[in-house]
Amino acid sequence: MVSLELPSAVMAFNQKPVRAVLLDISGVLKNCVDGKDVAIKGSVDAVNRLKASGMPVRFCTNETTTTRSALVKKLQAIGFKVEEDEVFPPAPATCLILKQRGLRPHLLIHPALEPDFKGMEQKDPNCVVIGDAQESFSYQNMNAAFQTLIALDKPVLISMGQGKYYSEDNKLVLDVGAYKAALEYACGIQAEVVGKPSQAFFLSVLSSMNAKPEETVMVGDDIESDVGGAQKCGMRGVLVRTGKYRPSDEQHPKVKPDSIVDNLAQAVDILLKTK
Amino acid sequence: MSKNSVRCVLVDLSGTIHIDDTEIPGSLDALERLRKSDVNIKFVTNTTKESKRVLHERLCQLGFTIAADEIFTSLTAARKLIEQKNVRPLLMVDDKALEDFEGIPRENPNAVVVGLAPDKFDYNTMNAAFRLMLDGAPLIAIHKARYYKRKDGLALGPGPFVTALEYSTDRKAEVVGKPEAAFFLEAVKDFGCDAAQCVMIGDDARDDVGGAQKCGMKGVLVKTGKYRPGDENTIGPPPAHVANDFAAAVDFILSSLIV
Repeated sequence: MVSLELPSAVMAFNQKPVRAVLLDISGVLKNCVDGKDVAIKGSVDAVNRLKASGMPVRFCTNETTTTRSALVKKLQAIGFKVEEDEVFPPAPATCLILKQRGLRPHLLIHPALEPDFKGMEQKDPNCVVIGDAQESFSYQNMNAAFQTLIALDKPVLISMGQGKYYSEDNKLVLDVGAYKAALEYACGIQAEVVGKPSQAFFLSVLSSMNAKPEETVMVGDDIESDVGGAQKCGMRGVLVRTGKYRPSDEQHPKVKPDSIVDNLAQAVDILLKTK
Repeated sequence: MSKNSVRCVLVDLSGTIHIDDTEIPGSLDALERLRKSDVNIKFVTNTTKESKRVLHERLCQLGFTIAADEIFTSLTAARKLIEQKNVRPLLMVDDKALEDFEGIPRENPNAVVVGLAPDKFDYNTMNAAFRLMLDGAPLIAIHKARYYKRKDGLALGPGPFVTALEYSTDRKAEVVGKPEAAFFLEAVKDFGCDAAQCVMIGDDARDDVGGAQKCGMKGVLVKTGKYRPGDENTIGPPPAHVANDFAAAVDFILSSLIV
């Protein structure tokens, strides 16, 4: 490995021991270019090096435009060594909550995600679940979700993530958070968030590897959901300058990352250097 | 006329003097009585769909004697704001409303204007608006209603879609319709009178009465249109007066406020 001279500010997140790592997927491992997934330079190798070092790694994503199994297959196809039980998207966590609380969802989700909700009772809905529906965020579909909510005595809206936007084909596009905010405003309610930055979501991922928040680092390209969310849980949050990253993120009014790195490869270099 | 005498009356349209194609009984005569008193009259309405011409034609067909320039709508206010800012808008408004924006340059847009336009709230257009805003384009909301009543039930208004863009850009829209103070003040600007000399009559406690009273006007709530019992208790301060309908509101103004 090349020896690296890194500025001390970048190293800050590594002062205390790191015993587990959470990685965001979109914008950290891969980008979407011309409708195709492309590994971000150095990321395949970075994941391999991290795993080879014996560090427990989990992939913590708000991806809701595809099922977990399809997501894992896509990652494997572009070279990542990832297994399904290491990947934590919001849909399986949402199904668990729906079952526990006897909720029957009206789904406003991407058609490709529907198999993850197979088997959930959807007749006579008593809540609305939204994900990143992309083109399915039409007025008609939003209106149908609204009409379901407003007809309930106590409207329950579950939002899989609350991201503001993300990068697709080198363009920024609206994320589910925009549509969550729209339905909240229309009904005068607050949604429950499943996925990042929900504390319960982060903690359930940590418990899968018996990791403590104060010993864990989260690496992501979303200054609020990834970095801010992880920090609120007691983890360290590292921002990468890939994916949807914008220079203005470094002056975010509320969130100050423990470190900002160029990409995942650099974050892993730092992690392994002092291990 | 004394200093505090009312010199200008603002009148809401739908739910106050008519509902769809029906006059609210007594409104035609009441308007004539009001006109005899020599006060200035302006009809003010939140519309995102119907152009001023369409509204005017409907009122004429109902028998009202109203000049087109007596109508001040949220579309008119949006147009004024666009001209003031000298911007080229991406117009997310209903096709029927486009005639109120005739002559406004729209190529290579650098502003976003949102009305009620179900056909234009698709994901791609919303993304186009979002990216314009990231490049610094201002967001102008014709109004921010949460929902409205349609024949098949409640339906989303423009407010939720404005909120979506606000959330993802961390920016706030400039709202131009009722209950914004700027809207009421712009409507009476040509009359050169103080807000205290104006009274607003409408069926919406929050948007008509509350909005007018916030900018120093008096508000009269009518119990027609969307009024529901108890609405007068939902705003503070309460309406200056609550009247059964527009005719009773006019009688109150003529007998008590023009002195």
